Order: sequence, then structure tokens, then C-alpha cells
Amino acid sequence: MSRKSSPLAPRERRAVVRRAFFDSIPVLMGYTTMGFVAGVLLAARAGISHATLWGFLTSALCVSGTYSFAIVQPVAERVPVAVIALMVASVNFRYAFYGFTMLGKWKGVPFLRKLFLVHMLTDENYALESACRYRSPAAHLLYCLSVSAMNFLYWVSGVTAGAFAVAVLQGAMDPDLLRRRTNGMEFAMVALFLVIFTDQMKGFLKNGK
Amino acid sequence: MGSDFLYMLGVVAVGWAITVGMRSLPFLIFAGRRRDIPQQVERFGAVVSPVIIAALIVYSYSGLQWRTAWPYLAGALTVAVHLWKGSPLASITAGTVLYMCLVSCGCMTAESEMEYGMAHPLIQMTEKGMKFQDRYVTPQQAVKELERRRVPHDATIHILVDDENAYRRASLVFRGMLAKAGYTRSVLITEKRASSSSAIQPDTPTPPNQHPPTAPHDGGSRQK
Repeated sequence: MSRKSSPLAPRERRAVVRRAFFDSIPVLMGYTTMGFVAGVLLAARAGISHATLWGFLTSALCVSGTYSFAIVQPVAERVPVAVIALMVASVNFRYAFYGFTMLGKWKGVPFLRKLFLVHMLTDENYALESACRYRSPAAHLLYCLSVSAMNFLYWVSGVTAGAFAVAVLQGAMDPDLLRRRTNGMEFAMVALFLVIFTDQMKGFLKNGK
Repeated sequence: MGSDFLYMLGVVAVGWAITVGMRSLPFLIFAGRRRDIPQQVERFGAVVSPVIIAALIVYSYSGLQWRTAWPYLAGALTVAVHLWKGSPLASITAGTVLYMCLVSCGCMTAESEMEYGMAHPLIQMTEKGMKFQDRYVTPQQAVKELERRRVPHDATIHILVDDENAYRRASLVFRGMLAKAGYTRSVLITEKRASSSSAIQPDTPTPPNQHPPTAPHDGGSRQK
């Protein structure tokens, strides 16, 4: 496979990035709000100090909604890290299959860039990247990188902002009241699982026909 | 604090290693090979991941009040909105907002409040007699009250006493009655212990307990 495709002209590059931005707008809505809720839960429920820092680190290193929601309760109970590892592995097992579709498309991409793409291979990124219509490898790669970078920013800022908001509120508000105000928010994780499952079932039925 | 820091560092490291490990698995397996991916692998993934997600749904429902209809209502709304609109944001928001409304309407007691009940037990033994929340009741009424609230039989019933020795006999009799009604797990806790368990972590639900201690299934039990 020849990777030596001609580099994109500046105008083309701009067009690809613009396209990536418009495609990422639904993700912007989703990631910032979901991330915010995840950050709020982490800070309000997990019982950790420096929640803003941990919100930032967890969201930047583990860009996965299921991870962010799933760790809140175990961390609050200080479940051993090995158990958390097992849990994260089962929650994120589905990611092992996303890469297969991208194998051919990302062949020959330099290591660090590939690592970032793989690091960012979330449900939403996968959906966007596998639906991307750019034929030329350079344009496709640029599209994937821009989408990944934008979604990364959305997610990290959402989670960090949520955790930070709680940290600020906790100083001003009765923590008990704060917990009561966030009551029921934990359902977001169940809803996320339900949505993923519904999508999987939809795909299943479509393929079966 | 130091151990907490290390613990969280572990959680993040493990999360990163596993998430990125999972995502890079195909790239590692097929690194440097030109071979096509076997069809079976893809089919395996298509079957296994929904099963895992389904298991997760069941598991997370077990943490909610699955004996009532409300969590399913919120779940049904989520799926319905998702089938209709196809937007994860819309469906998750709809389901979660409905669930939060149900909780605040008192249809359910949120997880955090059930755990909170341990620091503020439902049943209290005082000099004047037995108290269920704020009312004085007979021991028989207290057991009835637990049943009326559909507190699960495997829940641990916390009984608050100001001095363990003072009510030894009375508590033995009462715990016998509880056991007869099916509540085989009951513990006496003293005021001091109760307030310390809420004082250690003022902003977190009280510690690990597989079964939410006293789990009133209505919102009338909000304690402040």
C-alpha cells in the first residue's frame, strides 16, 4: 500500500478540518454534558480529595464514558484496584473489536499518531471514523486526527468542569444537600449501557436481514 | 490522603492500561501481518460484546431498586427515545431526568440515601421505648413497618441504642422477633459509632455494604 500519497493542499486541509468539526458537533453536545455529569458524580460521590485533578486525569487518560461512570461507586467503596481492573476490562471489552475495521485504513500511520488514534477510539469516534467518506489516505488520516482531537477536548473539558463545579459548590453548599441534588444522576450509566445495547441490537438486526 | 492518592493513581493507571490495551488489541495482533481478519473474530465480537453489555445492564439494575417498577420505566423511556431519535444524548438525558424526578418525588430512595440510613438508623431504642423514625412504636409495629416498607430480608437492620448494655435483654427479644419475621441480619449500633461513621466521610455514602442497610422503599424516610 503506498503511503506516499501527495500531501494535502492547505485549502483541502482546511476543508477536511472544517468537515471534521461539523461532524463532531453532535459529539460536542454529548461529550460535554455526559462528561459534566461524570465529573459531578466523581467529585460528589467518590469521596476523593483533589477531585478536579482526578477528573482531569481520568478523562484525559481513559477517554471512555463507561469507565468514568463505572469507577465512581467502586472508588467510593475503595474496592481493590485489581477488582476495578477486572471491571474496566469487562466494561470496555467491546473496544477490542473496533480496531479491526480501522486496521487497513490506519496502516503505516506513524506510531505516536496511531497511539493517539487508538487512545481515542471511543464509540463516537469509531462511528464517525468508520462513516468517513474520504478516499485519499492523507485526508482520511487528517479527518480522524481532527475528530479525535476535538472529541478529546470536549470530553476532558466536560469532566474537568463537572468535577471543578462540585469542588467549588462543596465549599459553599452543605455536602449533604449537594448529594441530594445529584440523587438519581447515577442512572446516566445505566442509560448509557441501554443505549449501547440498543445500538448493538439494531446493528445485529440489520446484519441479520 | 497519601494512600488515597496512590489508590487513585492506580485506578487511573489501570484504567488507561486496560482501555488502551483493549483498543489496540487488533493492532497488536495483526502488527506487521498482511493477513485479513478472520471472519470468526468479527462474528465473535459481534456476539460477545452485546452479551457483556446486557450483563452490565442487569448488574447495574441490581444496584437500583429493581423490586419497584420505576427504574424499568426510566429504562424503557431511554430505549424508546433512542429508537425514536437515535441520539444518545437525548435518550440518556430523558431517562436520567425521569429517574431523578422519580427519586425526588419520593417514588424511590436514591442509592446514596439508603446507605445514609446506616448513619441514621430507622429503629432506635430509647428509655421511653422503641422509636421507628420519629414515632414511638411497639416492637411488633416496628417489624410490621419494616415489612410495609418492603425492606429486603437480606438487608442489615441497624438498631440505634445509646448504650449497648442498657437494652441487652430488650434488644435480644426484639432481634429474635426480627429473625422470626425473616430479618436475620440485625446489628446494634451506638450513637457514638453512628455519628463517627458519618463523620469520617461527610461527603460520601457510608462504606462498603453489599446490601443497602435499611432500605425504605418510599421517600417518606428522608432524614436530615
